Amino acid sequence: MISVVHLTKRFRKTTAVNDLSFDVRPGVVTGFLGPNGSGKSTTMRLILGLDFATSGSATVNGKRYRELVQPLREVGALLDAKAVHPGRSARQHLRALAASNRLAARRVDEVLELTGISSVADKKVGTFSMGMSQRLGIAAALLGDPGILLFDEPVNGLDPEGIRWIRDLFQSLAREGRTVFVSSHLMSEMALTAEQIIVIGRGRLITQGSVDELTAGAKSEVYVRARDTSALEDALRTRAVTFRPEGPGFVVASLDAEAIGDLALAAGVALSTLTPQRASLEEVFMDLTADSVEYSASPAAHS
Amino acid sequence: MSTKPTIASVVRSEWIKFRSVRSSVTGVVVTLLLTIGLGALITLAVRSHWSQTDAVRRATFDPVSTSLSGTLFAQFAVGVIGVLFITAEYSSGSIRTSLAAVPQRLHLVAAKALVVGLVVVVVAEVACFVTFLVGQSIFSGVVPTASLSNGAVLRSVIFAGLYLTLLSLVGMGLGLILRQSAASISVFTSLLLILPILTLLLPQSWQNAINRFEPSQLGQSMMSPTPTANTFGAWSAFLILALYTAGVVGVGAGMLERRDH
Repeated sequence: MISVVHLTKRFRKTTAVNDLSFDVRPGVVTGFLGPNGSGKSTTMRLILGLDFATSGSATVNGKRYRELVQPLREVGALLDAKAVHPGRSARQHLRALAASNRLAARRVDEVLELTGISSVADKKVGTFSMGMSQRLGIAAALLGDPGILLFDEPVNGLDPEGIRWIRDLFQSLAREGRTVFVSSHLMSEMALTAEQIIVIGRGRLITQGSVDELTAGAKSEVYVRARDTSALEDALRTRAVTFRPEGPGFVVASLDAEAIGDLALAAGVALSTLTPQRASLEEVFMDLTADSVEYSASPAAHS
Repeated sequence: MSTKPTIASVVRSEWIKFRSVRSSVTGVVVTLLLTIGLGALITLAVRSHWSQTDAVRRATFDPVSTSLSGTLFAQFAVGVIGVLFITAEYSSGSIRTSLAAVPQRLHLVAAKALVVGLVVVVVAEVACFVTFLVGQSIFSGVVPTASLSNGAVLRSVIFAGLYLTLLSLVGMGLGLILRQSAASISVFTSLLLILPILTLLLPQSWQNAINRFEPSQLGQSMMSPTPTANTFGAWSAFLILALYTAGVVGVGAGMLERRDH
Protein backbone atom coordinates (compact mmCIF):
# COMPACT_ATOMS: atom_id res chain seq x y z
CA MET A 1 0.00 0.00 0.00
CA ILE A 2 1.29 3.42 -1.00
CA SER A 3 -0.33 6.50 0.57
CA VAL A 4 0.18 9.97 -0.78
CA VAL A 5 -1.37 12.69 1.38
CA HIS A 6 -1.51 16.36 0.38
CA LEU A 7 1.85 15.92 -1.29
CA THR A 8 3.38 19.11 -2.67
CA LYS A 9 6.76 19.65 -4.28
CA ARG A 10 7.96 23.03 -5.45
CA PHE A 11 11.20 23.56 -7.36
CA ARG A 12 12.10 27.24 -7.15
CA LYS A 13 9.21 28.70 -9.16
CA THR A 14 7.49 25.66 -10.60
CA THR A 15 5.14 23.45 -8.62
CA ALA A 16 5.77 19.93 -9.87
CA VAL A 17 3.34 18.22 -7.50
CA ASN A 18 0.41 20.16 -6.11
CA ASP A 19 -1.55 18.92 -3.08
CA LEU A 20 -1.74 15.40 -4.45
CA SER A 21 -3.56 12.70 -2.47
CA PHE A 22 -4.21 9.09 -3.44
CA ASP A 23 -3.79 5.52 -2.25
CA VAL A 24 -2.37 2.69 -4.29
CA ARG A 25 -3.85 -0.62 -3.12
CA PRO A 26 -2.43 -4.11 -3.24
CA GLY A 27 -3.79 -6.82 -5.54
CA VAL A 28 -4.32 -4.71 -8.66
CA VAL A 29 -2.19 -2.93 -11.22
CA THR A 30 -2.65 0.81 -10.76
CA GLY A 31 -1.83 3.00 -13.72
CA PHE A 32 -0.42 6.46 -13.08
CA LEU A 33 -1.31 8.59 -16.07
CA GLY A 34 -0.44 12.08 -17.09
CA PRO A 35 1.10 13.98 -19.97
CA ASN A 36 4.87 14.47 -20.00
CA GLY A 37 5.88 16.92 -17.30
CA SER A 38 2.73 16.37 -15.26
CA GLY A 39 4.68 15.31 -12.15
CA LYS A 40 4.57 11.52 -12.37
CA SER A 41 8.29 10.97 -12.01
CA THR A 42 8.59 13.58 -9.27
CA THR A 43 5.81 11.85 -7.35
CA MET A 44 7.64 8.54 -7.67
CA ARG A 45 10.90 10.10 -6.49
CA LEU A 46 9.06 11.58 -3.50
CA ILE A 47 7.61 8.16 -2.64
CA LEU A 48 11.13 6.69 -2.79
CA GLY A 49 12.59 9.41 -0.57
CA LEU A 50 14.90 10.63 -3.33
CA ASP A 51 13.31 14.09 -3.35
CA PHE A 52 12.10 15.93 -0.26
CA ALA A 53 8.48 17.02 -0.19
CA THR A 54 7.76 20.71 0.30
CA SER A 55 4.71 19.64 2.31
CA GLY A 56 2.49 16.61 2.76
CA SER A 57 3.72 13.05 2.89
CA ALA A 58 4.23 9.89 0.92
CA THR A 59 4.42 6.59 2.81
CA VAL A 60 4.89 2.94 1.93
CA ASN A 61 3.29 0.43 4.30
CA GLY A 62 2.68 3.33 6.67
CA LYS A 63 6.34 4.37 6.87
CA ARG A 64 8.37 7.02 5.16
CA TYR A 65 10.74 5.38 2.69
CA ARG A 66 13.86 6.63 4.45
CA GLU A 67 12.78 4.85 7.64
CA LEU A 68 12.85 1.46 5.92
CA VAL A 69 15.64 -0.79 7.17
CA GLN A 70 15.66 -3.20 4.24
CA PRO A 71 13.92 -1.12 1.59
CA LEU A 72 14.46 -3.58 -1.26
CA ARG A 73 12.41 -6.19 0.65
CA GLU A 74 9.44 -3.82 0.82
CA VAL A 75 9.66 -1.69 -2.31
CA GLY A 76 11.11 -2.44 -5.72
CA ALA A 77 11.43 0.42 -8.16
CA LEU A 78 12.41 0.98 -11.75
CA LEU A 79 12.81 4.68 -12.47
CA ASP A 80 15.23 4.80 -15.39
CA ALA A 81 16.39 1.61 -17.04
CA LYS A 82 19.57 3.24 -18.35
CA ALA A 83 20.63 4.42 -14.89
CA VAL A 84 23.24 1.71 -14.42
CA HIS A 85 27.01 2.11 -14.69
CA PRO A 86 27.62 1.14 -18.35
CA GLY A 87 30.90 -0.58 -17.53
CA ARG A 88 29.46 -2.99 -14.98
CA SER A 89 27.93 -6.36 -15.82
CA ALA A 90 24.26 -7.00 -15.10
CA ARG A 91 25.19 -9.69 -12.58
CA GLN A 92 27.59 -7.43 -10.65
CA HIS A 93 25.02 -4.62 -10.62
CA LEU A 94 22.46 -6.96 -9.05
CA ARG A 95 25.03 -8.48 -6.68
CA ALA A 96 25.94 -5.06 -5.33
CA LEU A 97 22.27 -4.25 -4.79
CA ALA A 98 21.63 -7.59 -3.10
CA ALA A 99 24.61 -7.16 -0.80
CA SER A 100 23.46 -3.73 0.36
CA ASN A 101 20.20 -5.19 1.70
CA ARG A 102 21.60 -8.57 2.73
CA LEU A 103 19.51 -10.41 0.20
CA ALA A 104 20.42 -14.02 -0.58
CA ALA A 105 22.89 -14.25 -3.47
CA ARG A 106 20.71 -16.85 -5.22
CA ARG A 107 18.07 -14.14 -5.73
CA VAL A 108 20.40 -12.60 -8.33
CA ASP A 109 20.26 -15.77 -10.45
CA GLU A 110 16.53 -16.10 -9.86
CA VAL A 111 15.64 -12.62 -11.11
CA LEU A 112 18.05 -12.92 -14.04
CA GLU A 113 16.21 -16.12 -15.00
CA LEU A 114 12.78 -14.59 -14.39
CA THR A 115 13.47 -11.61 -16.63
CA GLY A 116 15.13 -13.70 -19.31
CA ILE A 117 18.56 -12.04 -19.27
CA SER A 118 20.64 -14.88 -17.79
CA SER A 119 22.48 -15.34 -21.06
CA VAL A 120 23.74 -11.73 -21.06
CA ALA A 121 24.25 -11.46 -17.29
CA ASP A 122 28.02 -11.13 -17.59
CA LYS A 123 27.99 -8.60 -20.41
CA LYS A 124 28.56 -4.92 -19.73
CA VAL A 125 25.29 -3.05 -19.28
CA GLY A 126 26.51 -0.36 -21.70
CA THR A 127 26.10 -2.85 -24.55
CA PHE A 128 22.45 -3.57 -23.67
CA SER A 129 19.52 -2.61 -25.89
CA MET A 130 16.74 -0.57 -24.29
CA GLY A 131 14.65 -3.72 -23.97
CA MET A 132 17.43 -5.59 -22.17
CA SER A 133 18.01 -2.59 -19.88
CA GLN A 134 14.31 -2.53 -19.02
CA ARG A 135 14.49 -6.20 -18.13
CA LEU A 136 17.53 -5.58 -15.95
CA GLY A 137 15.69 -2.72 -14.24
CA ILE A 138 12.76 -5.03 -13.57
CA ALA A 139 15.14 -7.71 -12.29
CA ALA A 140 16.57 -5.15 -9.85
CA ALA A 141 13.08 -4.16 -8.72
CA LEU A 142 12.13 -7.78 -8.06
CA LEU A 143 15.41 -8.60 -6.29
CA GLY A 144 14.10 -8.30 -2.73
CA ASP A 145 10.76 -9.99 -3.56
CA PRO A 146 8.98 -6.79 -2.44
CA GLY A 147 5.24 -6.35 -1.83
CA ILE A 148 5.25 -2.93 -3.51
CA LEU A 149 6.52 -2.25 -7.00
CA LEU A 150 6.93 1.08 -8.80
CA PHE A 151 7.69 1.32 -12.48
CA ASP A 152 8.22 4.61 -14.30
CA GLU A 153 7.39 4.26 -18.01
CA PRO A 154 8.46 0.62 -18.14
CA VAL A 155 7.32 -0.13 -21.70
CA ASN A 156 9.46 2.58 -23.30
CA GLY A 157 11.74 0.99 -25.85
CA LEU A 158 10.27 -2.49 -25.60
CA ASP A 159 9.34 -4.53 -28.65
CA PRO A 160 5.77 -5.92 -28.91
CA GLU A 161 6.84 -9.23 -27.43
CA GLY A 162 8.48 -7.41 -24.52
CA ILE A 163 5.39 -5.26 -23.95
CA ARG A 164 3.22 -8.35 -23.81
CA TRP A 165 5.65 -9.99 -21.39
CA ILE A 166 5.71 -6.96 -19.10
CA ARG A 167 1.91 -6.68 -19.14
CA ASP A 168 1.55 -10.34 -18.10
CA LEU A 169 4.25 -9.90 -15.47
CA PHE A 170 2.50 -6.90 -13.87
CA GLN A 171 -0.80 -8.71 -13.78
CA SER A 172 0.68 -11.83 -12.24
CA LEU A 173 2.52 -9.70 -9.65
CA ALA A 174 -0.79 -8.06 -8.76
CA ARG A 175 -2.55 -11.43 -8.54
CA GLU A 176 0.06 -12.47 -5.99
CA GLY A 177 -1.32 -9.65 -3.85
CA ARG A 178 1.40 -7.08 -4.53
CA THR A 179 0.90 -3.37 -5.01
CA VAL A 180 1.88 -2.57 -8.60
CA PHE A 181 2.13 1.12 -9.50
CA VAL A 182 2.97 1.85 -13.13
CA SER A 183 3.33 5.28 -14.70
CA SER A 184 2.79 5.90 -18.37
CA HIS A 185 1.81 8.59 -20.81
CA LEU A 186 0.42 5.87 -23.09
CA MET A 187 -3.26 5.57 -22.25
CA SER A 188 -3.86 2.70 -24.65
CA GLU A 189 -1.18 0.69 -22.85
CA MET A 190 -2.68 1.39 -19.43
CA ALA A 191 -6.16 0.43 -20.65
CA LEU A 192 -4.78 -3.03 -21.32
CA THR A 193 -2.57 -3.37 -18.24
CA ALA A 194 -4.12 -1.47 -15.37
CA GLU A 195 -7.31 -2.02 -13.47
CA GLN A 196 -7.18 1.17 -11.43
CA ILE A 197 -6.13 4.49 -12.91
CA ILE A 198 -4.89 7.67 -11.30
CA VAL A 199 -4.76 10.64 -13.69
CA ILE A 200 -2.73 13.75 -12.93
CA GLY A 201 -2.13 16.94 -14.87
CA ARG A 202 0.16 19.78 -13.84
CA GLY A 203 0.87 18.03 -10.58
CA ARG A 204 -2.77 17.86 -9.53
CA LEU A 205 -5.05 14.87 -9.23
CA ILE A 206 -7.58 14.95 -12.06
CA THR A 207 -9.45 11.76 -11.42
CA GLN A 208 -9.05 8.24 -10.18
CA GLY A 209 -11.06 5.06 -10.47
CA SER A 210 -11.27 1.83 -12.40
CA VAL A 211 -10.82 1.85 -16.16
CA ASP A 212 -14.53 0.96 -16.54
CA GLU A 213 -15.65 3.84 -14.33
CA LEU A 214 -13.53 6.33 -16.19
CA THR A 215 -14.67 5.35 -19.66
CA ALA A 216 -18.33 4.85 -18.63
CA GLY A 217 -18.79 8.50 -17.71
CA ALA A 218 -17.33 9.73 -20.95
CA LYS A 219 -19.30 10.88 -23.95
CA SER A 220 -20.17 8.15 -26.41
CA GLU A 221 -20.62 8.39 -30.14
CA VAL A 222 -22.28 6.29 -32.84
CA TYR A 223 -20.87 5.42 -36.22
CA VAL A 224 -23.58 5.26 -38.85
CA ARG A 225 -23.48 4.42 -42.54
CA ALA A 226 -25.99 3.99 -45.34
CA ARG A 227 -25.74 2.96 -48.98
CA ASP A 228 -27.39 6.27 -49.83
CA THR A 229 -24.96 8.57 -48.11
CA SER A 230 -26.52 11.85 -49.20
CA ALA A 231 -30.00 10.80 -48.04
CA LEU A 232 -28.59 9.93 -44.62
CA GLU A 233 -26.76 13.24 -44.45
CA ASP A 234 -29.96 15.13 -45.32
CA ALA A 235 -31.88 13.20 -42.65
CA LEU A 236 -29.28 14.02 -40.01
CA ARG A 237 -29.20 17.65 -41.08
CA THR A 238 -32.97 18.18 -40.96
CA ARG A 239 -33.02 16.92 -37.37
CA ALA A 240 -30.17 19.28 -36.39
CA VAL A 241 -28.03 16.37 -35.23
CA THR A 242 -24.37 16.98 -34.33
CA PHE A 243 -22.29 14.81 -36.62
CA ARG A 244 -19.17 14.72 -38.71
CA PRO A 245 -18.26 12.69 -41.79
CA GLU A 246 -15.81 9.87 -41.25
CA GLY A 247 -14.83 7.58 -44.10
CA PRO A 248 -17.90 6.57 -46.05
CA GLY A 249 -20.21 7.24 -43.06
CA PHE A 250 -20.78 9.67 -40.18
CA VAL A 251 -19.97 9.86 -36.50
CA VAL A 252 -22.97 11.11 -34.53
CA ALA A 253 -22.35 12.66 -31.16
CA SER A 254 -25.73 13.88 -29.96
CA LEU A 255 -27.98 10.83 -30.43
CA ASP A 256 -27.77 7.24 -29.25
CA ALA A 257 -28.03 4.29 -31.66
CA GLU A 258 -31.73 3.72 -31.00
CA ALA A 259 -32.67 7.32 -31.84
CA ILE A 260 -30.59 7.22 -35.02
CA GLY A 261 -32.36 4.02 -36.07
CA ASP A 262 -35.74 5.69 -35.53
CA LEU A 263 -34.60 8.78 -37.45
CA ALA A 264 -33.43 6.70 -40.41
CA LEU A 265 -36.65 4.70 -40.48
CA ALA A 266 -38.71 7.91 -40.46
CA ALA A 267 -36.63 9.32 -43.32
CA GLY A 268 -36.82 6.07 -45.26
CA VAL A 269 -33.02 5.59 -45.33
CA ALA A 270 -31.75 2.00 -45.06
CA LEU A 271 -28.73 1.81 -42.75
CA SER A 272 -25.85 -0.52 -43.52
CA THR A 273 -23.88 0.14 -40.33
CA LEU A 274 -24.93 1.36 -36.88
CA THR A 275 -22.16 1.00 -34.28
CA PRO A 276 -22.01 2.65 -30.84
CA GLN A 277 -18.42 3.74 -30.15
CA ARG A 278 -17.41 3.96 -26.57
CA ALA A 279 -14.74 6.53 -25.93
CA SER A 280 -11.33 4.96 -25.43
CA LEU A 281 -9.41 5.66 -22.26
CA GLU A 282 -7.12 7.71 -24.42
CA GLU A 283 -9.94 10.04 -25.48
CA VAL A 284 -11.14 10.29 -21.89
CA PHE A 285 -7.64 11.20 -20.89
CA MET A 286 -7.30 13.84 -23.58
CA ASP A 287 -10.55 15.46 -22.48
CA LEU A 288 -9.57 15.36 -18.82
CA THR A 289 -6.12 16.80 -19.25
CA ALA A 290 -7.33 19.44 -21.70
CA ASP A 291 -9.68 20.63 -18.95
CA SER A 292 -6.87 20.70 -16.45
CA VAL A 293 -4.72 22.79 -18.74
CA GLU A 294 -7.55 25.31 -19.18
CA TYR A 295 -8.22 25.35 -15.46
CA SER A 296 -4.56 25.81 -14.58
CA ALA A 297 -4.12 28.56 -17.10
CA SER A 298 -6.86 30.71 -15.62
CA PRO A 299 -5.47 33.47 -13.38
CA ALA A 300 -7.65 32.48 -10.42
CA ALA A 301 -6.15 29.00 -10.24
CA HIS A 302 -2.76 30.18 -9.02
CA SER A 303 -3.64 32.95 -6.64
CA MET B 1 16.63 -14.42 6.58
CA SER B 2 16.05 -11.92 9.30
CA THR B 3 19.55 -10.51 9.35
CA LYS B 4 19.30 -6.76 9.17
CA PRO B 5 21.62 -4.86 6.87
CA THR B 6 24.37 -2.98 8.63
CA ILE B 7 27.04 -0.61 7.50
CA ALA B 8 29.07 -3.76 6.75
CA SER B 9 26.54 -4.89 4.14
CA VAL B 10 26.73 -1.49 2.49
CA VAL B 11 30.54 -1.70 2.50
CA ARG B 12 30.32 -5.13 0.85
CA SER B 13 27.97 -3.69 -1.77
CA GLU B 14 30.29 -0.75 -2.48
CA TRP B 15 33.27 -3.09 -2.71
CA ILE B 16 31.45 -5.10 -5.41
CA LYS B 17 30.72 -1.83 -7.21
CA PHE B 18 34.32 -0.66 -6.91
CA ARG B 19 35.98 -3.77 -8.25
CA SER B 20 33.46 -4.39 -11.03
CA VAL B 21 34.33 -1.35 -13.15
CA ARG B 22 37.44 -0.88 -15.21
CA SER B 23 38.15 2.69 -14.13
CA SER B 24 38.92 1.67 -10.53
CA VAL B 25 41.16 -1.18 -11.61
CA THR B 26 42.93 1.13 -14.06
CA GLY B 27 43.27 3.75 -11.34
CA VAL B 28 44.95 1.28 -9.02
CA VAL B 29 47.37 0.05 -11.72
CA VAL B 30 48.23 3.62 -12.75
CA THR B 31 48.88 4.56 -9.12
CA LEU B 32 51.35 1.69 -8.78
CA LEU B 33 53.03 2.41 -12.12
CA LEU B 34 53.38 6.16 -11.52
CA THR B 35 54.68 5.81 -7.98
CA ILE B 36 57.14 3.01 -8.65
CA GLY B 37 58.00 3.66 -12.32
CA LEU B 38 58.55 7.40 -12.09
CA GLY B 39 60.25 6.93 -8.71
CA ALA B 40 62.75 4.62 -10.39
CA LEU B 41 63.28 7.03 -13.31
CA ILE B 42 63.85 10.01 -11.02
CA THR B 43 66.26 8.14 -8.75
CA LEU B 44 68.16 6.86 -11.80
CA ALA B 45 68.46 10.43 -13.08
CA VAL B 46 69.74 11.63 -9.69
CA ARG B 47 72.27 8.81 -9.59
CA SER B 48 73.60 9.51 -13.08
CA HIS B 49 74.00 13.25 -12.37
CA TRP B 50 75.42 12.81 -8.87
CA SER B 51 79.04 13.35 -9.93
CA GLN B 52 78.11 16.79 -11.37
CA THR B 53 75.95 17.75 -8.37
CA ASP B 54 77.42 20.61 -6.36
CA ALA B 55 78.22 20.47 -2.66
CA VAL B 56 75.27 22.62 -1.52
CA ARG B 57 72.79 20.37 -3.24
CA ARG B 58 74.52 17.31 -1.88
CA ALA B 59 74.32 18.66 1.63
CA THR B 60 70.54 19.22 1.47
CA PHE B 61 69.85 16.04 -0.50
CA ASP B 62 67.08 13.87 0.98
CA PRO B 63 67.17 10.29 -0.33
CA VAL B 64 63.79 9.53 1.27
CA SER B 65 61.54 12.15 -0.32
CA THR B 66 63.49 11.91 -3.58
CA SER B 67 62.77 8.19 -3.83
CA LEU B 68 59.08 8.96 -3.11
CA SER B 69 58.86 11.53 -5.95
CA GLY B 70 56.53 9.29 -7.96
CA THR B 71 53.76 10.20 -5.51
CA LEU B 72 53.73 13.70 -7.05
CA PHE B 73 52.23 12.08 -10.15
CA ALA B 74 50.31 9.28 -8.46
CA GLN B 75 48.41 11.85 -6.37
CA PHE B 76 46.36 12.71 -9.46
CA ALA B 77 45.56 9.05 -10.10
CA VAL B 78 44.26 8.48 -6.56
CA GLY B 79 42.28 11.71 -6.75
CA VAL B 80 40.61 10.46 -9.92
CA ILE B 81 39.85 7.11 -8.24
CA GLY B 82 38.00 8.95 -5.48
CA VAL B 83 36.24 11.38 -7.82
CA LEU B 84 35.01 8.73 -10.27
CA PHE B 85 33.71 6.43 -7.55
CA ILE B 86 31.13 9.15 -6.84
CA THR B 87 30.65 10.99 -10.12
CA ALA B 88 30.12 7.79 -12.14
CA GLU B 89 26.98 7.29 -10.05
CA TYR B 90 25.74 10.72 -11.06
CA SER B 91 26.69 10.53 -14.75
CA SER B 92 24.98 7.15 -15.15
CA GLY B 93 22.07 8.04 -12.89
CA SER B 94 22.67 4.97 -10.73
CA ILE B 95 22.88 7.23 -7.66
CA ARG B 96 19.08 6.92 -7.48
CA THR B 97 19.24 3.14 -7.44
CA SER B 98 21.95 3.33 -4.77
CA LEU B 99 19.93 5.72 -2.60
CA ALA B 100 16.75 3.66 -3.03
CA ALA B 101 18.67 0.61 -1.79
CA VAL B 102 20.38 2.55 1.03
CA PRO B 103 18.13 5.46 2.01
CA GLN B 104 20.38 6.19 5.00
CA ARG B 105 22.53 8.40 2.81
CA LEU B 106 25.31 8.92 5.34
CA HIS B 107 25.77 5.14 5.51
CA LEU B 108 26.34 5.21 1.78
CA VAL B 109 28.99 7.93 2.12
CA ALA B 110 30.68 6.11 5.00
CA ALA B 111 30.74 2.84 3.05
CA LYS B 112 32.13 4.51 -0.06
CA ALA B 113 34.80 6.32 1.98
CA LEU B 114 35.79 3.07 3.68
CA VAL B 115 36.11 1.22 0.39
CA VAL B 116 38.11 3.98 -1.33
CA GLY B 117 40.22 4.60 1.77
CA LEU B 118 41.03 0.92 2.37
CA VAL B 119 41.82 0.15 -1.27
CA VAL B 120 44.03 3.21 -1.69
CA VAL B 121 45.82 2.82 1.63
CA VAL B 122 46.83 -0.74 0.73
CA VAL B 123 47.84 0.13 -2.84
CA ALA B 124 49.62 3.35 -1.85
CA GLU B 125 51.56 1.80 1.03
CA VAL B 126 52.72 -1.07 -1.18
CA ALA B 127 53.69 1.43 -3.89
CA CYS B 128 55.55 3.71 -1.46
CA PHE B 129 57.50 0.93 0.23
CA VAL B 130 58.43 -0.61 -3.12
CA THR B 131 59.49 2.72 -4.64
CA PHE B 132 61.49 3.57 -1.51
CA LEU B 133 63.36 0.25 -1.59
CA VAL B 134 63.89 0.40 -5.35
CA GLY B 135 65.13 3.98 -5.04
CA GLN B 136 67.60 3.16 -2.26
CA SER B 137 68.98 0.21 -4.19
CA ILE B 138 69.45 2.46 -7.23
CA PHE B 139 71.23 5.08 -5.07
CA SER B 140 73.31 2.43 -3.30
CA GLY B 141 77.05 2.84 -3.75
CA VAL B 142 76.83 6.26 -5.45
CA VAL B 143 74.30 8.47 -3.69
CA PRO B 144 73.69 8.55 0.12
CA THR B 145 70.86 6.20 1.09
CA ALA B 146 68.36 5.95 3.94
CA SER B 147 67.17 2.91 5.87
CA LEU B 148 63.78 1.90 7.21
CA SER B 149 65.43 1.05 10.52
CA ASN B 150 65.50 4.80 11.12
CA GLY B 151 62.15 5.76 12.73
CA ALA B 152 61.82 9.07 10.89
CA VAL B 153 62.49 7.38 7.55
CA LEU B 154 59.92 4.66 8.22
CA ARG B 155 57.38 7.34 9.20
CA SER B 156 58.04 9.28 5.99
CA VAL B 157 57.37 6.23 3.81
CA ILE B 158 54.20 5.34 5.73
CA PHE B 159 53.00 8.96 5.61
CA ALA B 160 53.60 9.10 1.85
CA GLY B 161 51.02 6.32 1.49
CA LEU B 162 48.67 8.10 3.90
CA TYR B 163 49.07 11.32 1.91
CA LEU B 164 47.81 9.53 -1.21
CA THR B 165 44.99 7.94 0.78
CA LEU B 166 43.78 11.27 2.15
CA LEU B 167 43.93 12.79 -1.33
CA SER B 168 41.74 10.00 -2.74
CA LEU B 169 39.17 10.87 -0.07
CA VAL B 170 39.46 14.58 -0.94
CA GLY B 171 38.66 13.53 -4.53
CA MET B 172 35.64 11.61 -3.28
CA GLY B 173 34.45 14.61 -1.26
CA LEU B 174 34.82 16.91 -4.28
CA GLY B 175 32.81 14.39 -6.30
CA LEU B 176 30.04 14.54 -3.70
CA ILE B 177 30.01 18.32 -3.79
CA LEU B 178 30.30 18.88 -7.56
CA ARG B 179 28.77 15.62 -8.92
CA GLN B 180 30.59 16.01 -12.24
CA SER B 181 33.79 14.20 -13.17
CA ALA B 182 35.40 16.99 -15.16
CA ALA B 183 34.61 19.74 -12.64
CA SER B 184 35.76 17.63 -9.69
CA ILE B 185 39.03 16.62 -11.34
CA SER B 186 39.72 20.24 -12.35
CA VAL B 187 39.21 21.50 -8.82
CA PHE B 188 41.31 18.67 -7.42
CA THR B 189 44.14 19.43 -9.83
CA SER B 190 43.91 23.16 -9.14
CA LEU B 191 44.22 22.60 -5.40
CA LEU B 192 47.49 20.75 -5.94
CA LEU B 193 48.99 22.66 -8.88
CA ILE B 194 47.44 26.11 -9.26
CA LEU B 195 47.28 27.06 -5.59
CA PRO B 196 51.08 27.00 -5.16
CA ILE B 197 51.48 29.11 -8.33
CA LEU B 198 48.95 31.68 -7.11
CA THR B 199 50.75 32.09 -3.80
CA LEU B 200 53.91 32.98 -5.75
CA LEU B 201 52.19 36.28 -6.53
CA LEU B 202 52.13 37.17 -2.84
CA PRO B 203 54.94 38.97 -0.93
CA GLN B 204 57.63 36.58 0.33
CA SER B 205 56.63 36.92 3.99
CA TRP B 206 53.05 35.94 3.14
CA GLN B 207 54.29 33.04 1.06
CA ASN B 208 56.29 31.77 4.00
CA ALA B 209 53.17 31.90 6.15
CA ILE B 210 50.75 30.41 3.62
CA ASN B 211 52.76 27.85 1.63
CA ARG B 212 52.95 25.40 4.47
CA PHE B 213 49.15 25.07 4.53
CA GLU B 214 48.87 24.03 0.89
CA PRO B 215 47.96 20.37 0.32
CA SER B 216 50.99 19.67 -1.85
CA GLN B 217 53.35 21.28 0.69
CA LEU B 218 51.67 19.31 3.49
CA GLY B 219 52.45 16.19 1.45
CA GLN B 220 56.11 17.19 1.16
CA SER B 221 56.24 17.80 4.91
CA MET B 222 54.69 14.39 5.56
CA MET B 223 57.32 12.65 3.41
CA SER B 224 60.38 14.46 4.80
CA PRO B 225 62.28 12.79 7.66
CA THR B 226 63.44 16.22 8.87
CA PRO B 227 61.35 19.39 8.62
CA THR B 228 62.62 22.20 6.41
CA ALA B 229 62.26 25.95 7.02
CA ASN B 230 58.73 27.47 7.02
CA THR B 231 57.00 24.07 6.93
CA PHE B 232 55.12 21.94 9.41
CA GLY B 233 56.51 18.82 11.01
CA ALA B 234 55.29 15.50 9.56
CA TRP B 235 52.69 14.85 12.24
CA SER B 236 51.24 18.35 12.16
CA ALA B 237 51.09 18.22 8.37
CA PHE B 238 49.30 14.86 8.53
CA LEU B 239 46.73 16.17 11.01
CA ILE B 240 46.07 19.35 9.01
CA LEU B 241 45.57 17.39 5.80
CA ALA B 242 43.31 14.93 7.63
CA LEU B 243 41.29 17.91 8.83
CA TYR B 244 40.98 19.27 5.28
CA THR B 245 39.86 15.83 4.12
CA ALA B 246 37.27 15.52 6.84
CA GLY B 247 36.01 19.00 5.94
CA VAL B 248 35.62 18.28 2.21
CA VAL B 249 34.02 14.85 2.76
CA GLY B 250 31.81 16.31 5.50
CA VAL B 251 30.53 19.12 3.28
CA GLY B 252 29.95 16.60 0.46
CA ALA B 253 28.07 14.24 2.78
CA GLY B 254 25.94 17.10 4.07
CA MET B 255 25.04 18.12 0.52
CA LEU B 256 24.16 14.53 -0.43
CA GLU B 257 21.99 14.29 2.67
CA ARG B 258 19.99 17.42 1.82
CA ARG B 259 19.80 17.28 -1.94
CA ASP B 260 16.96 16.05 -4.14
CA HIS B 261 18.03 13.24 -6.43
